[in-house]
Amino acid sequence: MAGAEGRPLLLLLAVCVLGVLLLHGAGRLCAVRREPARALPPFSGGLAPAEHPASRFHVRWYPVSLVFLAFDMEMLFMYPWVRVVGEMGTPAVVEMFLFLGILLAAVAYAWREGAFRWS
Amino acid sequence: MELRSALLRAALARPAVLTAVLPGATRARLAVERELRARRWPRVLSPAAADLLVVVGRPGEDEPAWLEGTWQALSEPRALVRVEEAADAGAVLDAGHAALLRGGPRTGTAAGGPRPHHASPVTDPGHLDHAHADHMAAHSHDSPMLISGLPLADRADDRDGLRLDRLHVPFGPVLPDWPAGLVVRLALQGDVVQEVTGVELVPAAPEPRPAFWDEPWRRAAAGAPVTRGEAARRRCAAHLDSLGRLLAVADWPDAATRARRLRDAALADAPAAELAYPARRLARRVGRSRTLRWLTSGIGVLPRERALAAGVGGPALEADGDVWRRTVQWLAEAVRAAEACEDPRPLPPGDPYGPRGELTGEQPPSRALLDVLPSLLHGAELAAARLTLASLDPDPDELLPVAAGEVARG
Amino acid sequence: MADSAPLWAAAALPLLLAPAALAVACADGRSVAPVREVLRLLVQQPRRTRAADALATRTGTVLLPLAAVLAAAVVPLGATPVSDLGDGVVWFNAMEALAWAAVWLTGWGPNSTLSLVGGYRFLAQGLAYEIPHMLALTTAALGAGSLRVTEIADAQRGLWFAVWMPAAFALYLLSAAAMSFWGPFGQPAGRDLAGGVATELTGVGRLLLLGGRRLLLLTSAAMAVPLFLGGGHGPLLPGWAWTLVKTGAVLALLLWLRRRLPGVRMDRYTELSWVVLTPLAVLQALVVAVVVLP
Repeated sequence: MAGAEGRPLLLLLAVCVLGVLLLHGAGRLCAVRREPARALPPFSGGLAPAEHPASRFHVRWYPVSLVFLAFDMEMLFMYPWVRVVGEMGTPAVVEMFLFLGILLAAVAYAWREGAFRWS
Repeated sequence: MELRSALLRAALARPAVLTAVLPGATRARLAVERELRARRWPRVLSPAAADLLVVVGRPGEDEPAWLEGTWQALSEPRALVRVEEAADAGAVLDAGHAALLRGGPRTGTAAGGPRPHHASPVTDPGHLDHAHADHMAAHSHDSPMLISGLPLADRADDRDGLRLDRLHVPFGPVLPDWPAGLVVRLALQGDVVQEVTGVELVPAAPEPRPAFWDEPWRRAAAGAPVTRGEAARRRCAAHLDSLGRLLAVADWPDAATRARRLRDAALADAPAAELAYPARRLARRVGRSRTLRWLTSGIGVLPRERALAAGVGGPALEADGDVWRRTVQWLAEAVRAAEACEDPRPLPPGDPYGPRGELTGEQPPSRALLDVLPSLLHGAELAAARLTLASLDPDPDELLPVAAGEVARG
Repeated sequence: MADSAPLWAAAALPLLLAPAALAVACADGRSVAPVREVLRLLVQQPRRTRAADALATRTGTVLLPLAAVLAAAVVPLGATPVSDLGDGVVWFNAMEALAWAAVWLTGWGPNSTLSLVGGYRFLAQGLAYEIPHMLALTTAALGAGSLRVTEIADAQRGLWFAVWMPAAFALYLLSAAAMSFWGPFGQPAGRDLAGGVATELTGVGRLLLLGGRRLLLLTSAAMAVPLFLGGGHGPLLPGWAWTLVKTGAVLALLLWLRRRLPGVRMDRYTELSWVVLTPLAVLQALVVAVVVLP
């Protein structure tokens, strides 16, 4: 990262942060201030909820996230693999797609169990 | 300072509008929508995004809590105006724009025509915080933990038997593409409706005229001369209005805009030839959309028997099925009505079939549509719940009491 | 083989992207309303909701445009990106994945039902679009045998990848719309939620989130050019012009698609994504792998 390729990224990050700060500064400068700051109830049509909305959320796609994690880990291997397919040849392809095949079998199982339909 | 006011003028050249529509105000709402389109003022989805709050219709109470809550949620610069009569819409909007540009500590006073005695819905800005302070003072050790005067969600069994946090949220009345003045109180677990704990309409002032979408049939029943074409035209526009709302909720703005333009053309007495062709095109584009079909099938299923038992009539009964079937039913009826909208024969005074079902029954058809709502929403996701509601499209205008003897005037 | 652009290009990139994103917004709405909207948000008094997690909202709204611009650093304009990273594809992927955190934090922050539901909708959307998206990225990298974006573009001097890996290209386009929660994939900020994650946002925070969304759409559309459409290669015109023309074409295609489609809900799309799109993406990768075997 610190090399010739990293330096423009760091500069870009700095410029972006500066830009965001400038925007907030411009907002401070331009925004009208006619009312004292107040804490408002959240909006859902004009009437306030009876409890705090930031409650434990019922995530019904939890099984999907587990299947996702399996594939996400797989992608970690697939990126470096891309660069060596040319050198390693057929064995690399066979191994990777065997791995993917096993994962797809898991997807098929999850599908049969109804993990991808939750409503 | 000069620069700042120039910036303000440029920013507010076309104010962002949030509309709050009350039951009985369909005429005024259509006029406001027309005016906004002509001015190219953007319509926004929530008060945080709005400059101008336009209250359409007459509230039945002095300081409605929902209006107060919505108005407080607008950020400065903001203004509030009230449109009570369709004819005033343009003038009132202009007054609101002027008030917005004028600015000042109280911008909620701009309005046209007669309005209730409270000129501004703004109350003490510290009002909300006082309420919290009271709660905090009452807070003792055995009461549930309060944060900013509000408890955390309690728990209850979900539809699969898991104990999960349950949140009580009133939806409406100020939501985009939502029936006028409707409040649906939901108990939510995540984004799933665990229970509908209430379906209410906010109070609105009594309206001397019959519900806008039922007008031709009501007038015919009262003995006034009404042609079949006139009734067909109104039916066509009513279904297009419903379709516009449904397609907007389904997040298909292009199709929704088409339906609404066509609705306005129908109401503006466009000739049948100019209506039928675009109506058929709309029906083709929407009715043949596999994506929409895939997304709306199996949601909000209302079988014929259940509809009959609940007293539901009209397209919702005929469709005999889910959101998709009701969409297709509306499209077909709108096309048929568009083709018939120059029929010069008189409408028989006994014809009871309005756009939402029989008007001669004991109860207006929208009452039954609202009655089946809780059972259809139970266990649905919010998105599906909103589609279901939009596909039934109850008309709150029908539920306002009509003053007897006023019907024939129209 | 192209070098990185001079260092000043890093400073110029946001200045190029911001107006371009604004132009995309204008084209989307077919009016200049977004320009006024920027001014409007600058003069709007910011507000907060009760018991809000202001830090979460602030972080989320800042992170989204930041991620989009940083992702754009590896997209070559013509033949030269701001930074020609050796693993540019992974960098792009990592940056756009920050959107997950950004959108969820923005939804969580205001302590509001509608924005919270919007935030979770985006997580569900991420679970559905991300795997086909990553497989499409690796398929293009596989075709060139490199993770360096300029090398992937150079590998398409003859035949565009879009031609012989059409499934990967189509999946990439879908995910471009999905990651910027725009158009048919706009449910996290949907109408039925009165704006979803954006419901409670005012002022500069709102500007950053909605602007960041356009930036992400623009960046992901621009990335389709080196990945699948031959980068800056083309006759007559200079490389940078081809990049702009092709990016415009991708955006036009997405805008056209938007007009034909209703909003896609994840409770239906997830199944399609995992049961049809993911195997399709794997199959496409297999075909490409067999073709590139020495």
